[in-house]
Amino acid sequence: MDFTFTDEQTMLRESVARYLAKNYAFEARQAIVRSDRPFSAEVWQALADFGLLALPFPEALDGLGGSVVDLVAVGELFGEHLVVEPYLSSILLAGRALAEVGDHPRAEHWLGRLMAGEALAAFAHEEGAGTADPSLVAVSCTKAGGGYRLDGEKRLVLGGANADVLVVTARVDGAPGSPDGLALLVVEPGAPGVRITPFKTLDGRSAAHLAFDGVEIPADDLLTADAHGAITRTLDGAVIALAAEAVGAMTALLRQTGEYAGSRRQFGVPIATFQTVAHRLADMKIAHTKARGTLLYTAALAEAGRATRRDVSVLKAQVGRLGRALAEAAVQTHGGIGMTDELAIGHYLKRLLAIDAMFGDSDYHYRVVGAGA
Amino acid sequence: MNLEPKPELEAFRQEVAEFLDTAPTDVIREAGRKTTSVFAPFDATMAWQKILNGKGWAAPEWPVEHGGTGWSAEERFVFAEEYCKRNLPPLLPNCLKMIGPLIIDLGTEEQKARYLPRILAGDDYWTQGYSEPEAGSDLASLTCSAVADGDDYIINGSKTWTTLAHRANRMFMLVRTSSEGRKQQGITFLLLDRVDYPGMEIRPIVGLDGFPEQCEVFFDDVRVPQSGRVGAENEGWTVAKHLLKYERGSSSQAPWLYRFVRMIREAAATRTSPFGGTLAQDPVFQRELGELEADVASVEAVEKLAVSGHPLAHDLAFPSFNKTVGTELIQRLTSLMARVSGLEGLSLQLQALTVGGGTAPLGDGFDLIAMPYYLNSRAASIYAGTNEVQRDLIARSLMSR
Repeated sequence: MDFTFTDEQTMLRESVARYLAKNYAFEARQAIVRSDRPFSAEVWQALADFGLLALPFPEALDGLGGSVVDLVAVGELFGEHLVVEPYLSSILLAGRALAEVGDHPRAEHWLGRLMAGEALAAFAHEEGAGTADPSLVAVSCTKAGGGYRLDGEKRLVLGGANADVLVVTARVDGAPGSPDGLALLVVEPGAPGVRITPFKTLDGRSAAHLAFDGVEIPADDLLTADAHGAITRTLDGAVIALAAEAVGAMTALLRQTGEYAGSRRQFGVPIATFQTVAHRLADMKIAHTKARGTLLYTAALAEAGRATRRDVSVLKAQVGRLGRALAEAAVQTHGGIGMTDELAIGHYLKRLLAIDAMFGDSDYHYRVVGAGA
Repeated sequence: MNLEPKPELEAFRQEVAEFLDTAPTDVIREAGRKTTSVFAPFDATMAWQKILNGKGWAAPEWPVEHGGTGWSAEERFVFAEEYCKRNLPPLLPNCLKMIGPLIIDLGTEEQKARYLPRILAGDDYWTQGYSEPEAGSDLASLTCSAVADGDDYIINGSKTWTTLAHRANRMFMLVRTSSEGRKQQGITFLLLDRVDYPGMEIRPIVGLDGFPEQCEVFFDDVRVPQSGRVGAENEGWTVAKHLLKYERGSSSQAPWLYRFVRMIREAAATRTSPFGGTLAQDPVFQRELGELEADVASVEAVEKLAVSGHPLAHDLAFPSFNKTVGTELIQRLTSLMARVSGLEGLSLQLQALTVGGGTAPLGDGFDLIAMPYYLNSRAASIYAGTNEVQRDLIARSLMSR
């Protein structure tokens, strides 16, 4: 067994880390978040130059054939830098869903444009249940004329306000609760009947609520009507990459809080010398070790094709709970300054809070594990 | 990364499984079912060690030249997995995981030849004389003294939390040989050949679970040979710190922890929830067990990284991480056991818990052990350096970055 990054992964990681350290320091990141644009086009171009836009896709589809571990190696860095560029939404969710469909001209068309950096996509799946379980999808896709008609609402669609194309999950058959009858389709956001309510998430990402009211879908834009597996694999991959972001955020918090506690003096001594503070730091390190160990092990399992539903749930639940606990401890250790917008600490808390809430929170995934999935 | 399952590892697993399926006697299996502590029932466990030693498997972590198996870290993990799956009693740690490795690393050739084969064979049981009433996790404060006299030391004072001293025939201990300098200086590490020297008295302490697992040992002008010293006089602190590495740093806790998850899951499937259905179907129960199982899975992940040599586990604080996380998980798991058992666990069943005692339990096997296990495991965050001390060490490692 070997859980270390390969030389290639280490090189990619070091290049991306150098770039982010130089161009995505916390102040630069805040400037991007505060701008009226959703993200930095310049940074997006840099990610394209690193090959990251094509990284997760198979070579047969003109991608670079990267592995889960490649994405984890980079994902940790995105977490350390609180990246808001739409990598998760456009590449890891929408792009991966298109790639899962594979041999379909519309899917290939859009995937090609995503990899070339010519277009952005969003994955419209969540409907308010908060668990991402595909069988809960209720948005309906019914036969109409020569094509289909789409009705219903999607919530918290990451990148949904800036997408050139929406990759939508919908139900062609059956009732919510059934894993059968699920479809993947592409919808252009300008189509009549599509209503978009844009907003930013509290951790700085661009998102939107979507409503579809009798949207006409040409028959060609329905990519597959048997999409449960494709959706599940897409979500599992995204969850592992998102867990890497969480662990990266935890790494940054642990380092910054350790440095702070060692230098910040109160009552004449560094606060790290107080046992209460020291033990909180120890618990932060314990949480980080557990979370990072689980991430690397799960990534190795996934790369070997052996990650089960339970393994993915263990990872998501652990980074959700441990990440939040670590971030809350980091704020407490920093005291008042940790509560301010000017310091990164609270922004890591918000990112970890958002990650826990997305794709099923820790309570949900713990229950999946406890039920003996 | 590479998880490639090695075919030879599967063959190894088969070999281990076959032996563990056939070698233990009924009494040994009973001891496994009635284990409610890190220290399994004494007689049956020592008998099991003899059988394992006959196969050459008593001390997988020892070097081959001293009777180890030569297994890789991955093979040792597989062995632990198969062992725990079968609910067999864990071998007593004092000899195989503590004093044995210490003698191998730091003992004289004479000490190695004299003691190691008898440890492996299960002929000797060594009790640990470290703690004193005023020196628990702050070991450096110990006062039990040894004064040189000819070829001997004369020991005066007392030791406590000497696990199973009433069953032991030998003892390793720390004594104060000088009161000059820092507290850590002036400590000496001694091997005692017997526990029935004139002037030595052992008094068992009955624990919360009703069993005498711990003891106190009193020394009144006890004369022991200086040849039992490990390392130089007054340099026992270095020796003791070396041993702590073994005491705190096991890297196959996950298989043992999964054993608790399985026991709880099986018990919950047979019990009814007051809200209908079985307890196993109850959402609150599922949420709680799920969190514990996920934490066990994280320990497993970290341990697999550790046995593969990943830098994450090369951290100086890793033994303290391991000790803290492992012991707190045992406590949380036994706490859930106690709650699943509920009223059924309230009957005091010391007779039924005795291996070979022939007394049938009142409820099932789970109810028999749930409460004693819960009570006994309160010690887990206290022994081998309290978890408060471990957290100090972990925090310090963060500061020294």
